[in-house]
Amino acid sequence: MSTPLALEVRDLRCRFTDPAATALAGVSLAVRPGELVAIMGESGAGKSTLLRCVNALVPSLVPAECSGEIHVGGMPVLGRSVGDLAGRVAMVFQDFEAQLFSTNVRLEVAFGPGQLGIPGDEIARRVAATLALVDLTGYAERDPSSLSGGQKQRLAIASILAMAPDVMLLDEAGTDLDPLGRGELYTALARLRRERVTLVAVEHEIDPLLGADRLVLMRRGEVIATGSPADVARDPASFLRCGVRPHDLAVLGDRLALDLPLDLEGAAEALRRRDVRPRILVSPQPARSTTAPILEVEGVGFAYDGGPPVLEDVSLRIHAGEVIALIGQNGSGKTTLAKHLNGLLRPTRGSVRLDGVDLRRIPLERAAQQVGYVFQNPDHQLFAASVEEEVAFGPRNVGVRDGKLAARVRDVLAAVELQALGDCDPFLLSKGDRQRLAVATVLAMAPRVLILDEPTTGLDYPQQRRMLDLFARLRAGGTTVIVITHSPWVVAEYAERALLMRAGRLIFDGSFTQLVGAPDLLRSAAFELPPATRLGYALGIAVRTAEELALSLGAPPRPDLRARRPAGD
Amino acid sequence: MALSLYLDRSSALHRRHPLVKVMAMTMLFVATFLMDDPALIAPLAVLVLVATAASGALPNLWRLRWLIAPVFVFTLVIWTIFYPAAPGSAAPHREAFRFGLGMALKLETFLATGLLFLGTTTVEEFAFALTRLGVPYRAGFVITLAFRLVPVFLESAFVVVDAQRCRGLDFSRGRLRQRIARYVPVIVPVFIGGLRRADQMAFALEVRGFSAGRTRTTLPRPRLRGADYLLLASAVALMVGYSGLWLHGVGRITPR
Repeated sequence: MSTPLALEVRDLRCRFTDPAATALAGVSLAVRPGELVAIMGESGAGKSTLLRCVNALVPSLVPAECSGEIHVGGMPVLGRSVGDLAGRVAMVFQDFEAQLFSTNVRLEVAFGPGQLGIPGDEIARRVAATLALVDLTGYAERDPSSLSGGQKQRLAIASILAMAPDVMLLDEAGTDLDPLGRGELYTALARLRRERVTLVAVEHEIDPLLGADRLVLMRRGEVIATGSPADVARDPASFLRCGVRPHDLAVLGDRLALDLPLDLEGAAEALRRRDVRPRILVSPQPARSTTAPILEVEGVGFAYDGGPPVLEDVSLRIHAGEVIALIGQNGSGKTTLAKHLNGLLRPTRGSVRLDGVDLRRIPLERAAQQVGYVFQNPDHQLFAASVEEEVAFGPRNVGVRDGKLAARVRDVLAAVELQALGDCDPFLLSKGDRQRLAVATVLAMAPRVLILDEPTTGLDYPQQRRMLDLFARLRAGGTTVIVITHSPWVVAEYAERALLMRAGRLIFDGSFTQLVGAPDLLRSAAFELPPATRLGYALGIAVRTAEELALSLGAPPRPDLRARRPAGD
Repeated sequence: MALSLYLDRSSALHRRHPLVKVMAMTMLFVATFLMDDPALIAPLAVLVLVATAASGALPNLWRLRWLIAPVFVFTLVIWTIFYPAAPGSAAPHREAFRFGLGMALKLETFLATGLLFLGTTTVEEFAFALTRLGVPYRAGFVITLAFRLVPVFLESAFVVVDAQRCRGLDFSRGRLRQRIARYVPVIVPVFIGGLRRADQMAFALEVRGFSAGRTRTTLPRPRLRGADYLLLASAVALMVGYSGLWLHGVGRITPR
């Protein structure tokens, strides 16, 4: 007799009623016990809805019309409540903060089994076993809020793993993590696979999921492609069609018409075997500005209210028209440094000068007109009844009125391509639109320097492209753009200059080419450049994209492989 | 920034059974409530302070100094001024001051007792104690979750304030009414963010079996020990003693 499937979905259709929208249009999926299945696709493809149907959040808590069949371990799911499935189907969400509500790690893990009526001694055994599995032994008495992002997400996994589910669903569990946290998460998942835990993971990036048993690409509620990740990934066009960034080495293989392995060593070896040698393409280097700097940071140190130092002896200068990536692990001091650049934080040592004047002497609302700061979560600043009102709020605060205000709102909305949504309620926009609106609200202050804290987190590839194209346009208009980011390809494709932080210190300040030549430094800060850049480095050249590498390896020029912009974002 | 009031220590008070701690706190509240005379409230305040120091929970008092100090001064001044002493009383001002001091000490003792409890008891222990006292599990859970969420909302409010200051919003300008109006751009995002988080949290709770409808269990809990009985007996003695004083009219200050 064959082993029953851990999860089986047959012709699942799901339609939300308010607002009316078809989320799933006949999805089928079969997952054997112990498999890891990865699901990818752009926002709105139906990935999360599929997971939520499997654990009955849809339709039992989120009203929808669903048809088809879902079986978990042979048990039908449709028609049951989430409570019925608790302990059989578990789910880890993207927002790890909202999943943790206990005083310490031990109690967090014990919560789920306690709800299922597991005897106390067995709960204690499971707590110890699952914490070991996610490498959190020794943290049992820690307050969850004191853990790093990666530790929090692993705690969320442990807390559902302790319920011994048949299937574990991960809904973009790595999205909000820094590279180190993401690495820890996937190490933990690899351990779970060895323990034969069945995993279904939705993600935006292919790299960490190359080792999955199967990859499913979704678009508009349908499965577009399915198969082994290496096979599916070899077709970059289908990735782009589904709004997913294709793997660099797949793009390279496609451009060179070679069957390249998707690991660096294998790809480098395959290229050497075929004697493919890189040609150094000389692209114009942006000239270092000789004008007076806008911002000067001199020996800045900072500590929160008697705590340990968060910044130590940081010095740098920022000029007009630069595009700068500020990178480093969470907790390395990136955001703290950025908040010093417009006076949100005052240094405990050293100084920050704006046009030669110490920022301590400039009120924040005046500094904000020169140095804009867009917070990571757009929902932290949106409040108005319409998009136009939202954009007008900042300039109105600093005395811009009447025709000048209307003109500025119009120009800014055009710059972020939201002019058609001026009357809309900001809270009803998509995440990508809300993110661009948040940028618009700060742009409306007409700053010379724009700081953005992780502006692409949580956005799909087309939305990220759209956001980054906006920065390129701003830069062309002379605005200095400083992007705090964990995304390697954002750094590679857009940054002229990189600032690398580690443990409160600025350990690198230089051009992108110089950054490529400092792999040890990058490794020490747990930051990895994209595969194409690393492969290029292994071959002796500095490239930003797979396309650049392909050209240097002799591929004929062709239109770039960027995703088409989706009509509705 | 840690905003939760619980302080993870291994003091004797931390180790006491949560049910005993809830009962002892309630009895201390009653004893304090019965007294008006600062001379009789002061020993209770000192007792709480000593217990706070012994439990390593003094940092909570320091963190909330912005609340504790104004409460003391405001209460003392208001009651001293408005104490309804009889006209022609020999020493109306002294008695008013004594009454004001008693009220200020009383409020501070309430506050410090509550902080001591929250500093030494996890919200899960609190919920467990409430359940043992007959409060439905869900109600107890909601109460304890509120304790966890208030700091989270505060933290979110700080971020929103910073985000709006970056859009030129100046909270220090203008008259009181204008300043209050300026908090609308803070309140809306905090409120909407709170709703979104509540939604997410509800999903997470459901997935973890909150509505599974089974008999709930917990990690093995320590049973009542000798020290728990001692604490309970001390609290009972304190409450009975102060009730006796109150019944005999001792410690009361009655406005004439």
